[in-house]
Amino acid sequence: MSNELNHSVILREDKCIGCTSCLKVCPTEAIRVRDGKAKIISERCIDCGECISICPNHAKSAITDDLSLLKKFKYKIAIPSLTIYGQFPSNIGINQILASIKRIGFDEVVEGRLGADISICLIRDYLFKNTSAKLPMINSNCPAIIRLIQIRFPDLIPNIIDIETPIEITARITKTNVSKKTGLDIKDIGVFFITPCTARVTSIRHPIGIAESYVDGAISMRDVYGDIVRNLGDNNTSDLGERSKESLLWPIAGGQAAALGIENYLEVDGIHHVIKVLEELELGKLKDVDFIECSACTGGCIGGPLVIQNPFIAKNRIMKYVRRTDELQCTKEKLNDYIEMYKNGFIRLTEEILPKPVMMLDKDISKSIQKLELVTEILKNLPGLDCGICGSPTCRAFAEDIVNGENKKAICMIKTMNGFKTKKI
Amino acid sequence: MGNISYEFPVEKDDFERAGEASSKIKKILRQLGMDSGIIRRVAIGAYEAEMNLVIHSLGGTIRIDIDPKSIIITAEDKGPGIHDINLAMKEGYSTATEKIREMGFGAGMGLPNMKRCSDIFEIQSIVGKGTKIVMKMNLKDGD
Repeated sequence: MSNELNHSVILREDKCIGCTSCLKVCPTEAIRVRDGKAKIISERCIDCGECISICPNHAKSAITDDLSLLKKFKYKIAIPSLTIYGQFPSNIGINQILASIKRIGFDEVVEGRLGADISICLIRDYLFKNTSAKLPMINSNCPAIIRLIQIRFPDLIPNIIDIETPIEITARITKTNVSKKTGLDIKDIGVFFITPCTARVTSIRHPIGIAESYVDGAISMRDVYGDIVRNLGDNNTSDLGERSKESLLWPIAGGQAAALGIENYLEVDGIHHVIKVLEELELGKLKDVDFIECSACTGGCIGGPLVIQNPFIAKNRIMKYVRRTDELQCTKEKLNDYIEMYKNGFIRLTEEILPKPVMMLDKDISKSIQKLELVTEILKNLPGLDCGICGSPTCRAFAEDIVNGENKKAICMIKTMNGFKTKKI
Repeated sequence: MGNISYEFPVEKDDFERAGEASSKIKKILRQLGMDSGIIRRVAIGAYEAEMNLVIHSLGGTIRIDIDPKSIIITAEDKGPGIHDINLAMKEGYSTATEKIREMGFGAGMGLPNMKRCSDIFEIQSIVGKGTKIVMKMNLKDGD
């Protein structure tokens, strides 16, 4: 139950056949197969969605919000993820998509570019020169990466840029403006993010770096895609409006670094690649880089676990728009407004991001040393194949699970088989 | 009182795996629940020692001994040994080749950094035989 409350990624037991596909891809070793079903260790899960993408039986799923949640609010605003532009063939215009989303039951549709443009201006023209973050700076907008850093790379927390994500910025500004415009109480205005991202869903419920999110619900892009398709009207304009090249690039891996105009950047996508780079960074090997753009998903947000389109196809479509769009113009006045919003904490990460030492064996160092001794001793007797048949992702995890008392029944099949082979009759 | 030790072999010129031992050591300390301050010191010391083995030695081992009071890192190699330890300990002094320096190593800070992050630092070297470095970091209360 606690898992359902804290996480968006869940297991649908009826569909799980107890294979080990998800075990191996989980970057925080948060999955075990017990009694023939996968189990997610809640405190380790970072909601990256790797297990959702790999599961051949579609047993891993995401809890997102339902459209029925809209009823709770007097004024409903949709913020579709910037990845939405890549989910439809190019003959369907952006404005057509947005109009269709509105028809589903929203009073207003606001694009995430509002926040993306602010974020880009602020980082590029101000934060990059005046940052309190350690170099190289790490982008703050991928929630799975932030959680990964909390768990596996706590030393890198000071490198995270302390600016809110474009979606949160968009939500904050829109909600405030609508409240002013309509006279409605903030509580009666509902902001819904149409999400490609499972980690974002969790971040809305349990934000990191801010006290409370202005987003009231996250609706899976997959869930709502059919509704959008059904509500599509005529394509009467190919006008791209005031969209900036930079905001269109944002959800594509490498797009943020390109948008920010940072020359000395490193772009890495796919969580296992990110881990490799962060390991190097943690060892102090990457002193000659200014900015690291990390995306947990391959291809960037367009590779999110809840998108419809293959990320490479989505990229092709978005790039067609990018070529037709102008660059972002940030006037001094606007920039000063943004700096003000940043300084007064409106669009800044004001809460401390804390390490999450979930890999720790015991709170007491003497005890954890004893446990580690035991782990090492057990490991000597294991085959070291990391096959996962026992239900733990590696032999080491198997030993740790025994020492932590979690693994009462699991046995090593390989060791048992070898035992039979060498038995004298 | 439990104590635990690990030993990692480090090969000469194995740039591809360089940093692996320090990375593993860091992971172990984190699993033990050590304070991030002490983890950083140990990781820096171990990494510098590991890089020295890769760049300068004929190969050797990094060993870590952990007990609830202290952590000891021992780097031992099979040669070639250091001619003048005092000179080698001087900041900025390095015998690394130009190529190694271009790679961003050999800044002459390895040994001074190791000394700086240890509470007790010992170095012995015999030319033709090898070098042994011992770094001891004490765990204070709260560490």
